Formats: sequence, structure tokens, C-alpha cells
Amino acid sequence: MIEVRHIIKSYTIDGQTLKAVDGVSFSIKKGEVLSIIGHSGSGKTTLLSLIGGLTRPDSGEVVIDGTNIWAMGDNSLSEFRNRKISFIYQFASLIPTLTALENIMLPTAFGHYGADTEQYARELLGLMGLENKTNSYPSHLSGGQQRRIAIARAFINRPEIVLADEPTGDLDEDTEEEVIRLFTSMNQDQQVTFIIVTHNRDIAAKTQRQLTMSNGVVSELVK
Amino acid sequence: MKRIKISGLALKNLRRKFVRTAVLLLLVAVVTGTLLGATIFISGMRNALKIGTYRLGADVLVVPEKNEAQAKAALLSGEPTSFFMDRSVYDSVKNIEGVKRASPQLFIKPASFTCCYNVEAFLVAFDPASDFTVTPWLQKNLKKPLIDNDVITGSSLPVLKGDSLPFFGTLFNVVGTMEPTGMKFFDQSVFMTMDAAYAMAANSKTKSMQPIDIDTSKISAVMVQVQENFTPDRVAIRIEHSVNGVKAIASDEVVSNVRRQLAGLLKGILGISALLWVISLLMMGFAFYMIVNERQRELGLLRAMGAKRAQIFALILNEAVLISVTGGLFGIAVGFSLLLAFKDIMIKSLKLPYLLPSGDILIELVFGAILFSIITGLLASLLPAASASRMEPYEAIRKGE
Ligand SMILES: Nc1ncnc2c1ncn2[C@@H]1O[C@H](COP(=O)(O)OP(=O)(O)OP(=O)(O)O)[C@@H](O)[C@H]1O
Ligand SMILES: [Mg+2]
Repeated sequence: MIEVRHIIKSYTIDGQTLKAVDGVSFSIKKGEVLSIIGHSGSGKTTLLSLIGGLTRPDSGEVVIDGTNIWAMGDNSLSEFRNRKISFIYQFASLIPTLTALENIMLPTAFGHYGADTEQYARELLGLMGLENKTNSYPSHLSGGQQRRIAIARAFINRPEIVLADEPTGDLDEDTEEEVIRLFTSMNQDQQVTFIIVTHNRDIAAKTQRQLTMSNGVVSELVK
Repeated sequence: MKRIKISGLALKNLRRKFVRTAVLLLLVAVVTGTLLGATIFISGMRNALKIGTYRLGADVLVVPEKNEAQAKAALLSGEPTSFFMDRSVYDSVKNIEGVKRASPQLFIKPASFTCCYNVEAFLVAFDPASDFTVTPWLQKNLKKPLIDNDVITGSSLPVLKGDSLPFFGTLFNVVGTMEPTGMKFFDQSVFMTMDAAYAMAANSKTKSMQPIDIDTSKISAVMVQVQENFTPDRVAIRIEHSVNGVKAIASDEVVSNVRRQLAGLLKGILGISALLWVISLLMMGFAFYMIVNERQRELGLLRAMGAKRAQIFALILNEAVLISVTGGLFGIAVGFSLLLAFKDIMIKSLKLPYLLPSGDILIELVFGAILFSIITGLLASLLPAASASRMEPYEAIRKGE
């Protein structure tokens, strides 16, 4: 259960204050899938970062499973991110010095993981159709392949919440299908909560709930 | 299972920027090497000086006035020399206020050293009854006192215990050799008793092609130990005042030349080393600032997937330590090579005694050098690592874009 309570995040650029997120409130139950649609610059990425504990709101609260994450210490918050939350970024986010498999396993460097993690990493690579790229470095992979590896990495910690920022941005339709299928199965089998930022109205239409965002403000589309 | 470790990440990052890593390694190596080489060299010279003065064991050396320069040359650079004065000097010096002990010695320059022509030997004869400079050392290394024609030789002379050495027609038995001191006065000398020396001189008239004339009324120098409440300088002045025709050289004076040269050299080397160190610290600091800056996004991503601040800090320090330990080890090799390459030239041109520090001290210095390079690496990367670990993940990820 995530409760976002009136969070505000503003930036000052050249003396002008811009409210990237302007008093957003909503809540989402465990296992729900929510999509956010909005114009470029409307504050979607900022909102995801606030919810995922990457940037501190000016005011307001993000309460996850009863805990106000911004009241936690930095170490606890880091552990929390390591165990419960995963991000899928809008842009390439692989570490160039690591192979595909190592990239997927990277979060294990920062927490306690079981001995079966490597097996799971290989499974995820398989689910993304990239088992033949296990030992390839990002520079030898296409943009879409890199993105799929980043998606696989998001599930290595068996997260409770996945915050996906345009996860299918540069994927062809077939691969996009595969990703959606993976999300759906993770959601149905493991009760993973998803917040997906997308420009793709088809994807948004398939999610249980839809928010639209504009100038830092969200409104829910009532179906 | 495959494990992803922070140290592994650090190593991979260093490999990625191979050229920069190599340059940093070289920098650390040069600084560590220079510092280590300089330290070993300086401590070697200090060592030699300490042992030299200790062995000399005399606070004041009384020699004929006209032979002052020769005496100093003999003590400082071991130049064999012969000069003589009357034994009455010894009797007078003994009774001067402030003199605790006095002992005569004979310095004799051999006509030839028959075993080998490229080594100059210097004959030093002492009086076992009154001696306090040579005997303490003999007692430590020999079970019995020197008798008859026994001699003990300096380390540079190519003879072994049990060898026989002829001087002026008399054969001497080598009963022991000294450890190297770096001071030619000791390393190239042959120590014998004065009785043996007088006998040798007497016999030389019949046995040697180059006879010498030293009767028992002749001595070369008087070694003086002063009483605790007197300074060598003061006693030296008293001696010169009350005995005609002698020069009293305070031991301070003998070594002060060396000390002065050494101090100058030390300042120079330390100054250069300190400068080198500061420059390298700045360069490394700048390099790590760049390393952190260009990897901001990556570090932000690591934070987002759960890396704690301390882990980011550790990652950067890890890279610094990897560079500094490797560079330091490399530098130690460089340091020893430099030392070997330039040791002889420096000793020759500076005319300073030299003695390589003992194994224990060398090991200490090597460990010190490694520690020093680690500290340098840590210092250089501390600020960049701290600033990297303090960035907010989202800011870091965005800024790096
Ligand atoms: N760190 C920052 N410093 C200054 N301005 C920022 C910062 N982060 C976001 N902004 C501003 O806040 C607004 C919202 O940015 P955000 O990245 O959240 O938009 P978005 O909805 O994700 O856009 P897009 O669809 O293009 O990704 C933008 O105007 C952006 O310039
Ligand atoms: Mg965005």
C-alpha cells in the first residue's frame, strides 16, 4: 500500500521557482497497476523519484506499508530501495563495465541475497529473450536489448513495487508485448505493484487505474 | 554463485580508464620511489655517521699542530697517513683538568700493501693498557685481547680471519674482521697493538726494503675522553693552551662537517620530496574529482538500487587504495633501483660515509612506504568520495545525463 500525501517538489532555475510536482495525493493498493500519462515536462519522472525514495519532497509524505519513507534514515532508506523497490529508467541505465548478467545481478552487491540469485538472473534474461547475450557488454547490445536487461534487473530483488518510467519507449511491438506479459505475470503471481509512466495510450488503457499529469498536478481518469 | 563485490566494481572501473589509471599508478610509483630512496639514503648516511663517531669513541683527538689536515683527512676519508709527535704529549694531556681518559695511538701509512695494490690499508696501533676506543669493540667480537702480532682488519680489506699480512717485513695474523662502517678510517684500517707496531718498526731495519723509524718515544695521536661535566670543545682549548705544538680536534668538529653537509642534503631532498608529494596529492585529488564527476550518474544508479552512502564512499576509496598500493609497490622497486643506480655516484661526489640500513629498518621503511602511499591515495580521494556519497540519487542520475 502506497499513500502519497500532498507532496510538493519545486526547483529554482535562474531565480524562477518551478513546481515540478505540485501537491500530488493518491493511494495505491498492493498488487495494483497504475499508469501515468502526461506531456513532457509535466513532472512524471520527478513524481516517481519522490515515491521511490530518490529525491526528497519539499513537503508532504510518501507512506509505504505504514512507514513514511522520508522519515527514515539514509541507510534504512537505501536498504528499503534495495529490498522492496525497483526502478526502470526512461534512459539507458546499464553499467558499461559489467556484462548483461552482472548488470542484472548488480543490486546484490548492496544487500543480502540467496545462493539462487544467479539462477534467477539467468531466468530473467531468458524471459527477456536474451540468454545468448549473458556475457555481452552493454556497448555490444542494441538500445532495445539494453532496455530489456534493465527491465530484467528490476526484478532481481523480487521487488514489491516497480516504478517504470516509459519502460517500452524504444521497443518494437513484439518485444513490448513480452515486457507487458512479464509485468502482468509478476503482478498476478507475485502481487507486484506497478506504477508505469507511459506515452502509449494502449498500455495505459490496459492498466487498472490511470492518472494524467499536467504541470505537476495529477488527476485520476475515472473509468 | 557469481558475486558482485564493491572491490570488483572498483577494479573494473580502473581497467576501463586504462591510460588514466596507468598515469596515476606511475605518479604514485615515482613519488613513493623517490621518497623511499631518499629516506633509505639519508638514514644510511646517518647510520654511518653514528657508527663512525661511536667507533671513534673519543671526544678529543690530539695531533701534531702541523698535521691537523692530515689527521682530519685520515678520520673522515681514511686517507692513510703517518705523522708523529713525542710521547710526552700523552703524559701532559693525561693530567689536564677535564680529561677523564687518554690513550695514545700510532698512525702508519704502509709502504705497500702486498696483497693487493688497489686497496689502501692504514695501520692503526693502539695501547691496550689505556685504550678505550678500539678495545670495547674487540671485547665484543673477540674472546681474547690482541696479543703479539695479532691484527684485526676493516671490512674493505680483502682478507679473512686466519690470513697472514706482511707489513715492513713482519707477518701479522688476522684474528678478526670488522663489520662495514662506511667510514674508510675503519673499513680500511689494520688495528694492532703499539708494542707490535714498535717491534715491527725495529725489525723493519733488517727485514724490510723500506725501513721505518719509529722509536718508542713516538706517538701519532692521543685519544681523549672528557669528564661528564666538560664539553669536548672546552677541554680541547685547555689542551692546546697547556701543550705546545699540538692541535686538539673535538670530535664534534670532526663530524660536524659531515653533519653540515648531510643537513643541507637532507633539507634539499626533503624539500623536493615534499613538493613532489603535494603535487601528486593535488593531481590525484583532481583525477578522483574527475572520476567521481564523470561517474555521477552511475553512482546515482547504484544508490537507487540500494547502495548506502558508506558503500559509495568505499567504492571510491577502494579505487584509490588499489591505485596507491599497486603504485606504491611499483615505486618501492623503483626506489631501490634508483638507490642502487645513484648510490655510488652520490657517495663519491659528496664524500660522505654511507651504510645501508639494517634489514629490520629496511623492512620498516618498505612498510612505511606502502602505508604512506595508501595514506596519499586516501587523502586524495577523501573529498571526492565524500561528495559522491552525499549526492541525492535523483540529482546524481539527472546531472550525469
Ligand atoms: N533536478 C532538477 N533541476 C531543475 N529542474 C528540474 C529537475 N528535475 C526536474 N526538473 C524540471 O521539472 C519539470 C518536470 O521534470 P520531469 O523530468 O519530472 O518531467 P517528465 O514528466 O518526466 O518529462 P518527460 O516526459 O520529458 O520525461 C521539468 O520542467 C524539469 O525541467
Ligand atoms: Mg521523465
